[in-house]
Amino acid sequence: MGILSQMLEHPIEQEGIEEFDVLVIGGGIAGMEASLDLAEMGFKVLLVERDPSIGGKMFLLSKVFPTLDCASCISTPKMAAVAHHPNIKAMTYSEVKSVEKKGEGEFLVEVLKKPRFVMEDLCTGCALCENACPVIVPKEYDFSLRGRKAAYIPFDTAVPKVAMIDIDHCIFCGQCELACPVGAINFLQKSILQKFKVGAVIIATGYQLFPITKKKEYMYGKLANVITAMQMDRLLSPTRPYNAVLRPSDGREPMNIAFVLCSGSRDRTVGNPLCSQICCMYSIKQAQLLMGALPLADITIYYMDIRAFGKGFEEFYQQAKDMGVMFIKGRVAKIEPGEDGNIVVYYEDIENGGRLSRAEHDLVVLSVGILPNPGVAKVFKNTRLEIDEYGYIKLPGNYTSTAETSIPGVFAAGCAIGPKDIPDTVVEAAAAASQAAAYLSEVRKK
Amino acid sequence: MSGNEKDIRIGVYVCWCGGNISDVVDVEKVVSVIKNEEGVVVARHFMFMCSEAGQKMIENDIKMRNLNAVVVASCSPKLHELTFRNTVLRAGINPYMYYHANIREQVSWAHSDSKEEATKKAIRHIRMATAYVRHAEPLEKIKVEATPAVLVIGGGVTGLRAAIDLARSGVNVYLVEKEPFLGGHVARLGETYPSGRPGWELVSRLIDELLKHDNVAIYTQATVEKVEGYIGNFDVTIKVSPRYFVKNCERIEEAISRCEKRVPDEWSYGIKTRTPILLPPYPGAYPRIPALDMKACGEDKCMGCLEPCKDAVDLTMQEQVIKLKVGAVITATGFNPYEPSEGEFGYAQYPYVITLPQFNSILKESGNGKLVVNGREVKSLAFIYCVGSRQREGRTYCSRYCCNATVYAALLVAKKFPRVKQYHFYRDIRTYGKNEVMYEQASRSGVIFVKYPEEEPPKVTAENGGLLVRSKDLLTEALTIDVPVDLVVLVTGMVPRNNKDLNEILKLPIGNDGFYQEVHPKLRPVETTLSGFLIAGTAQGPKDTLESLSSGSAAAAKAGGIVLKRIIELEPFRAFVDPGRCELSKQCIAECPYMAISVKNYEGKGEKAWVNPAICKGCGACVAVCPNNAIQIKGLTNEQVVDMIKSAAREV
Repeated sequence: MGILSQMLEHPIEQEGIEEFDVLVIGGGIAGMEASLDLAEMGFKVLLVERDPSIGGKMFLLSKVFPTLDCASCISTPKMAAVAHHPNIKAMTYSEVKSVEKKGEGEFLVEVLKKPRFVMEDLCTGCALCENACPVIVPKEYDFSLRGRKAAYIPFDTAVPKVAMIDIDHCIFCGQCELACPVGAINFLQKSILQKFKVGAVIIATGYQLFPITKKKEYMYGKLANVITAMQMDRLLSPTRPYNAVLRPSDGREPMNIAFVLCSGSRDRTVGNPLCSQICCMYSIKQAQLLMGALPLADITIYYMDIRAFGKGFEEFYQQAKDMGVMFIKGRVAKIEPGEDGNIVVYYEDIENGGRLSRAEHDLVVLSVGILPNPGVAKVFKNTRLEIDEYGYIKLPGNYTSTAETSIPGVFAAGCAIGPKDIPDTVVEAAAAASQAAAYLSEVRKK
Repeated sequence: MSGNEKDIRIGVYVCWCGGNISDVVDVEKVVSVIKNEEGVVVARHFMFMCSEAGQKMIENDIKMRNLNAVVVASCSPKLHELTFRNTVLRAGINPYMYYHANIREQVSWAHSDSKEEATKKAIRHIRMATAYVRHAEPLEKIKVEATPAVLVIGGGVTGLRAAIDLARSGVNVYLVEKEPFLGGHVARLGETYPSGRPGWELVSRLIDELLKHDNVAIYTQATVEKVEGYIGNFDVTIKVSPRYFVKNCERIEEAISRCEKRVPDEWSYGIKTRTPILLPPYPGAYPRIPALDMKACGEDKCMGCLEPCKDAVDLTMQEQVIKLKVGAVITATGFNPYEPSEGEFGYAQYPYVITLPQFNSILKESGNGKLVVNGREVKSLAFIYCVGSRQREGRTYCSRYCCNATVYAALLVAKKFPRVKQYHFYRDIRTYGKNEVMYEQASRSGVIFVKYPEEEPPKVTAENGGLLVRSKDLLTEALTIDVPVDLVVLVTGMVPRNNKDLNEILKLPIGNDGFYQEVHPKLRPVETTLSGFLIAGTAQGPKDTLESLSSGSAAAAKAGGIVLKRIIELEPFRAFVDPGRCELSKQCIAECPYMAISVKNYEGKGEKAWVNPAICKGCGACVAVCPNNAIQIKGLTNEQVVDMIKSAAREV
């Protein structure tokens, strides 16, 4: 057990109970939107995010379909709006430990604030500690495409933009402490358990990427030039690790890139029969961006069905075809190493007689599906949050609202309910805010 | 125009942004040059202006050095403009006496290869900022009082959901439905995915929930005639057509049997016919009383049928005009099913070619055992997907719900009529998300899926008293196959409703696909460019039932955000007219995309153009066309812009 996990088991309990109207669990785009909507309606919101920054996964993306807006440019102002709104208190690097329902419109909540070992109110985010730190470990926010220090600012556009120390990798050399101009480093910081009283809860805990190492035939982790689409999005993003799209094995620009759709989706052999709803579109988006970044590269998308169902999506798909992206209907069965770091894919070429075919690419992108983030049901202590067989939060029986859960006063939005893209998530977040507001108004009238 | 130029006392603060800026821009040099700019009293640089220490520095200077305007040169204004407006406000300066110069995104990040040029550009940026504040004047946010009421147009699931949420939150709701009964398309559906319950059951639950609230007024057979005003304050006129029935009638069946008139029945998409007497079409329908469709009576209007119900009917009933005051308007007018043209896949040519909504109506009424259509048993049927959707020209969009709805219909058919053979001619099966499980079930239950090429859709012909579908099957070596079937169901998509009249009144923006256009497809999906006007459900684009419910709630959240605050604060950057200069060319009125400009009588100056600040967005289109420079934007006057350009052009 790491030092951090041990520390989290023995938090300092803070005295007193702070009150809010609504607790929002999760600070991704769903949680941020729901918080802003409620705050605009005049409700006081406590937003709790497990990671060091709010923003979820959206702000890590390159551009987003179907408009090709820069994801940072449209999500970082949201992050700033959350941070500045007088009706929102955002707790980052914090976890909701328990939610106990006392009655309608009354929930007792315990939140564990994890130690950053940096005093947030003093830190200016100058990164001098990061420069001084001698330890390098893989960077989570870049999906290990590059390293970070043990004393580090999690991400360029993080909110709050403050440093933290990864205590499990820290060698306690004290360099950061010496470098910090404002004396913000504090190795004695403890985890703190805080109590809150809230009137309603919104769950917006989002998704995790499907652990694609489970699909052994696709050789992820074994072949350097098989990467995930999330890594490709980082390679294409304005906050990208390198200034170009490079393949991992030798740092060359790839010239013949393949996307393998339904990696870890629509696949009972790996335990996920659901369609992940976003992979077709993000792959088509990446294909279009790659055509811009590497104009001479060939791009092939291996698919089962192209699910371009949302507003403007079909047109976006047709545009990719017109740009010259190759679409091949056929599920990839197997991936093998080829010569010179290249990758060989075997697939059923359905539109050409269903032959087993083979093609060589110099970079293969697995369009990895998504699964719900686990664990949120456990925090509900005296009520039962119903989860469906796939781990998503279940709609209650009457289907008159998408935001309700099995617990009155607890609402949900985004990928916690099912796989979905950003536009649908944003709609659901506003819906959850609307339902929570209606619930609170009604409960308080009585 | 400006406040008091001679007395301007500006503080300029150049941020290092840790090194993000100072590694490229020579901040010492910038400060030494800017110190000499007109009006600058103090200029400093600091590691992080946004930090607590940086903000304190500004506040102290404002108090000690008596500053009345501030410039911070740092990151993008999107990040910290608000931060520093609040900083200066805390120290007692009007927040609009502040200007934010972006020397990170626009200078240091963009020109990291040339420090000298970057430093010069930073100086030009800051000179522009000082020019701006030299001409700035204190501005106040525009405050608009909001009426705590919302108009919801459309009484389908989306409108009902929005109305319920708002009513529960204490907002007065006016729900306006054009048809004689609430419920829209969903009320006409049989079993729906994913609940497996009839559509009308869902609708009647929503209606029951809505009727619990006494702050809701429901108008059926009603249309919106006029909407005037601006966000928070709209005057709405609606017209309610006479229903003629005032209560229920025990002998209604007798009345119906007397009438010989028959018109296609909308509730079954024309599968059945009806008389001009409309009964509540499903259990729990609202209003709970019949309606008389006078148009369907035709010319003669004999009224003979009404004899058994004469106590329940008032034929003197007149059209009513009702005036409402609301703070926001939600348009949830839904969709129309695509109507195939004559001969499209044999539609309207062969009687056994029908649309998916018609098939659903038949399925709803069928018991187990035999599937009977028009008195004939159907033993095999074909579904042809993407009819009226995903076209190369015209309707290019995917209608989203149809794959799911058809695969669900396939499951219903397989359950109710296990011996009926089904062939599904598709392009891509788009059962996204959890709906994939339905597709898997359908594939396992013996339903045959045939993938046809986009450029070569199936052909439907009549043969041996039945129908023949000829198609290429990409799944079996692109062989051409002939499938004889008893019934062909065209999977028709959604098309925008023909809202011509309403569109003239509301002037909501419409996208290329003909659906209402949101402000931003990702982050502002239910708002429009017209403040106070929201869109929801399939009026914005194809959606299924649950997605429409979400969208209805989302629109309620945004409408609630407007009216629950009571006082709406708007940025002061609005156009204003100098009546002394205006010669009423009216070019601004023609140019304004928001209809914010009208003619007003100014005392002593006669009729001149006038900008309603609550509607104006400060876009400046009017400023550009005014031949007399009579119209300007507050906070961005011509004087300011000209001096900013001059400052930028000055040699460094």
